[in-house]
Amino acid sequence: MTQHLSERDVRGIAEYTRIGLTDAEVAQMTVDLNAIIDSLKPITEYDLAGVEPTFHPIGGLSNVMREDVEEPGFSQAVALENAPKRQDGSFLVPSILGEGGDR
Amino acid sequence: MAAATERAFACMGVRDVRSGLAAGAFSAREIAEASLARVRALDGATHAFLETTEQLALAQAAKIDAAVAAGTLDACGPLAGVPVAFKDNMNLTGTHTTCSSQMLANYVSPYTATCVARTIDAGGIPLGKLNMDEFAFGSSTETSAFGPSRNPWDLSRVPGGSSGGSASAVGAGLATIALGSDTGGSIRQPGSFCGVVAVKPSYGVVSRFGVVAFGSSLDQVGPFARSVEDAAFALNAIAGRDALDCTSQAVGIDFAANLAEGVRGMRIGIVPAFMEARGLTAEVKAKVEEAADHLRALGADIVEVELPNAQAAMSAYYVLGPCEAFSNLARFDSVRYGYCDPGHADLGSQYEASRAKGFGPETRRRIMLGSYLLSAGVYDTYYYPAQQVRTLITQDYERAFQRVDCILAPVSPRTAFRFGEVSDPTDMYLSDMFTISINIAGNGGMSLPAGLGADTGLPVGVQLVSPQFKDENMLRVAAALETAYGPAPVAPAFREGGTLEASPANIPDAADAVPGVDLPGLLSAEGAPSEVPAKRVPHEPDSPAGCPCEPGLSERPGSAEGVAAQVERAGE
Amino acid sequence: MRKLEEVLQDWEAVIGLEVHAELTTLETKMFCGCKLEFGAAPNTHTCPVCLGLPGALPVPNKAAIESIVLAGLATNCDIEKHSMFYRKNYMYPDMSKNFQTTQGPVAFCMRGHLDLDVDGPAAKERITAAGLAEGDCDGNATRTADGYTAHVGITRIHMEEDAGKMVHVGGSEGRIAGATHSLVDYNRCGTPLIELVTEPDLRTPEEARLFMQKLRQIYLAIGISDCSMEEGSLRCDGNVSLRRRGDSKLGVKTELKNMNSFKNLHDGLAYEICRQAEVLEEGGQIYQETRHWDPTSKRTIVMRVKETADDYRLFPEPDLAPYDLTDEWIDQVRAKLPELPDQKAARFARDFGLSAYDARHLVESRATARFFEACMELAGEDAGALAKPVANLVINDVTAHLNAHADFDLEDSPLTPARAVALVRLVAEDAISSKQGKEVFAAVLEEGKDPADVVKERGMEQVSDAGAIEAVVDAVLAANPDKVAQYQGGKTGLIGFFVGQCMKEMRGQGNPKVINELLVKKLG
Repeated sequence: MTQHLSERDVRGIAEYTRIGLTDAEVAQMTVDLNAIIDSLKPITEYDLAGVEPTFHPIGGLSNVMREDVEEPGFSQAVALENAPKRQDGSFLVPSILGEGGDR
Repeated sequence: MAAATERAFACMGVRDVRSGLAAGAFSAREIAEASLARVRALDGATHAFLETTEQLALAQAAKIDAAVAAGTLDACGPLAGVPVAFKDNMNLTGTHTTCSSQMLANYVSPYTATCVARTIDAGGIPLGKLNMDEFAFGSSTETSAFGPSRNPWDLSRVPGGSSGGSASAVGAGLATIALGSDTGGSIRQPGSFCGVVAVKPSYGVVSRFGVVAFGSSLDQVGPFARSVEDAAFALNAIAGRDALDCTSQAVGIDFAANLAEGVRGMRIGIVPAFMEARGLTAEVKAKVEEAADHLRALGADIVEVELPNAQAAMSAYYVLGPCEAFSNLARFDSVRYGYCDPGHADLGSQYEASRAKGFGPETRRRIMLGSYLLSAGVYDTYYYPAQQVRTLITQDYERAFQRVDCILAPVSPRTAFRFGEVSDPTDMYLSDMFTISINIAGNGGMSLPAGLGADTGLPVGVQLVSPQFKDENMLRVAAALETAYGPAPVAPAFREGGTLEASPANIPDAADAVPGVDLPGLLSAEGAPSEVPAKRVPHEPDSPAGCPCEPGLSERPGSAEGVAAQVERAGE
Repeated sequence: MRKLEEVLQDWEAVIGLEVHAELTTLETKMFCGCKLEFGAAPNTHTCPVCLGLPGALPVPNKAAIESIVLAGLATNCDIEKHSMFYRKNYMYPDMSKNFQTTQGPVAFCMRGHLDLDVDGPAAKERITAAGLAEGDCDGNATRTADGYTAHVGITRIHMEEDAGKMVHVGGSEGRIAGATHSLVDYNRCGTPLIELVTEPDLRTPEEARLFMQKLRQIYLAIGISDCSMEEGSLRCDGNVSLRRRGDSKLGVKTELKNMNSFKNLHDGLAYEICRQAEVLEEGGQIYQETRHWDPTSKRTIVMRVKETADDYRLFPEPDLAPYDLTDEWIDQVRAKLPELPDQKAARFARDFGLSAYDARHLVESRATARFFEACMELAGEDAGALAKPVANLVINDVTAHLNAHADFDLEDSPLTPARAVALVRLVAEDAISSKQGKEVFAAVLEEGKDPADVVKERGMEQVSDAGAIEAVVDAVLAANPDKVAQYQGGKTGLIGFFVGQCMKEMRGQGNPKVINELLVKKLG
């Protein structure tokens, strides 16, 4: 099996996707992902020169739009009803600049 | 002895329900009450339901009874009085929509999916929400955070997945129609495992609005039923352009119109490479060959067609699906809804803990795989070629469909397996080897029950594939085959006079759903889901134990009104 | 730190802009039917789509697509018929889906440009253009009579959506740093946003300012945004790098944010250019980083160092159908194009015989252009004759007043076009002097009276009656025989003295032209 990803790579992906994994989980994930990526090999072996990609399997459908007309939305209470934390009509998140939380 | 002491309306077909209502043999209220009672009495065995919707069912029944009384039953939709249920990735106002994930255990929908609204608008009596693989990642429902559903034909086996709860419910006669979603085979494979008619329409036939996305370019909603005609009626109710889904398209046909026309003169393709595929079991292969013989006898031409690039579908799928899923599941971030791990002083650690604990292992794998495959440099190695391969596969089907009207193929290489039997993720992925290419190309595909396998004695479905937006072709072929096999029976143990012992289930009801409070029955954050269905605990809405969040607001649109509003909106 | 003018002698600044404009004139958001409204109570304009609820799907606003195509046509862009939306993936709480729907390599509008006319003292900052002869080029600059024209390339304009708003609590001055928590409001989330990216064709802060100003005029003219830099509906980021004069290799660039007014844009860039020059001259190194312009301390502050390029995992948005715009559709949008500022200036120059300079400055704001046109309509047959003085009044007096009074609204002011024409006529007909004209202008604005009434009340009417003036002229000549002799001896420059004496006698109300004529006649 080819080693596509090291544990360090997998840690990087976990960080990017914001999934906190333990060391043991990183090790297992590394094994799993390498096995899956190995199984994707056929895709890399096709001669695809000149083949256009199909991003949307919808035939010739295009230019689907709506008119600029207001539709009823949520009240503030409904917008917030599932929020884990809220304050003053807003969604509350803890300190953004904890560690690497900026953009 | 089947525990259902009342009439098993959910074992009836759409026509029978309607004619009974019209004749005054029973009321819609009786249907609603008896159907819910049957679910509560038997679902302890199948664990298909995650939540019931009693108020909605009774409100809907009252409307239909009023229509019957007023002599306007004809004006009711095609599913009037029919017990229906929905996969739990479909939003329905006032119900939990969990996707069988701890991440959404406390999420109560403030809106309704178009397919759900249309089903209810068509007169269906909504019984509840159905179990699935977590976020539809799986082929067995074993990844559900609420414990797996069971196959009504053999409770020691999986019902298939990801729409396993939907297949199980219809197979057990707990619903006449259930909706599921299919990204790589998630309707057809459980349909095959549970011996029910299971239709994945062409991509774009049914609106995806309100259905929690897995692979946006692959997902499609479709019905489970025990007859081709019932499936066609359900499709008639849910199909068609929806202004809220840009990829949905106008459908100008009655799917039930040509079911009786037979297959004489139709050309039906068989793919030799599929029939010789490694891993295809003899009993499944035999069933496909038997179906071909039936069709030949019914007057169809059986023609060999090649799909030279279909072998790449699997790898293309495991590129495209995870890439889209990675992005679709980014919104589960503990801010607006969903699981929020308590006690974090900074957002980064709240994100990481919430997503680590909220997502199960398979979900995490797919998200991380997708993130990797889309990263700079890697995109050109996998993602872009996968979309090019999609073009080749689509062209393969187009060429094949120049010669044939429909393709006959296996659904799953085998019949239902035992819990825990398939544990390696890449082995599990093989469940979808015959179904995936249809999602890649956007064609219609369905599983039609073809009796029981010779070796395992378990249900086997055969797959029928349509050209895109010619879904009536496969339904017509399926209806012809059904004349040979007969309508799908309710699983034996669940029939009247069946062998099933009383299996009551303590299913939470949407009446108790409070936003921010977990659907009761979820295992604790620390405990991994066990292999057997989780024991349900009685719902105590006043003690949101373990919930790190504020109690829900009292102001929330009533479920029934909310749906009515949505139904009106969808009816535009 | 050295001054900008000095720095630009040794260094060439290379500037590119990224300009975001919210399409505030639309009714609803980009991908859902929620109302666009600035300043509403938090989270009162949301729905499943803009809250990013599970299962929600986007549907593009047709009017937004028309707006961006209009913007592209107005900025000389090619309209790409085939384009798609993409997902730009990053997790941040103000973006409810945790990806931004934007466009990929092909945007609706590609390869446009705007030509900037730079005049006045700032034209000297582009030192390579200063030495050219009129009509000659250096790079993208062409020398003109009163400065130069810079041809600024527009790389693209793409369609995207804005993020929600966050309030940071617990830190100082609402800053994110030091905040204990933040509050998120998704009302703005999903607001249609167009992002214009320029080529790195700008060379001075003044050019950047002019570009923004011109772009704003255009966006206002086509009506796609209220372009309020204060409320953030028009926002600008700048990329700046320096290279030694004569070098062709680009230096390391910094990205500058928070330039939320024309002045801040100019001053922020000017500061950053000088800062970079100082660092480089001291042998230091410029780091690729994002800096924040702080107008209070008049400095740029590091926000974030970019070690590696961001990886946004961009991929085509599967939920949105691609675009395949037809010529017919584009032509329908084109038909909605109003007269653009450049076209208006050309018309003013052509129809009223104005200089390019005058015409250009008249159209700098819609208000002044509209005012000028209203004046010309009232001037009727005299439009040709009054055009130049009216233009002068607008460009000099009105603009100065506008600049000095931020809340001044020309359309709702005592200075109506009718009064402006009346004022200009009084001067043109020698009823008052041009100096008195200034006094009347101020009085009209302050007192809200007609110019004729001001003149009458203040006794300013100019005396042009030859008989009355002749008496004064005679008296002055009689009182200064020595000066008369000197004049007649060849010191003709003394004419000014005689005029002054006459004006003094007449308390400034004598018509200088008539006085002059009579003096010349009598002395000759």
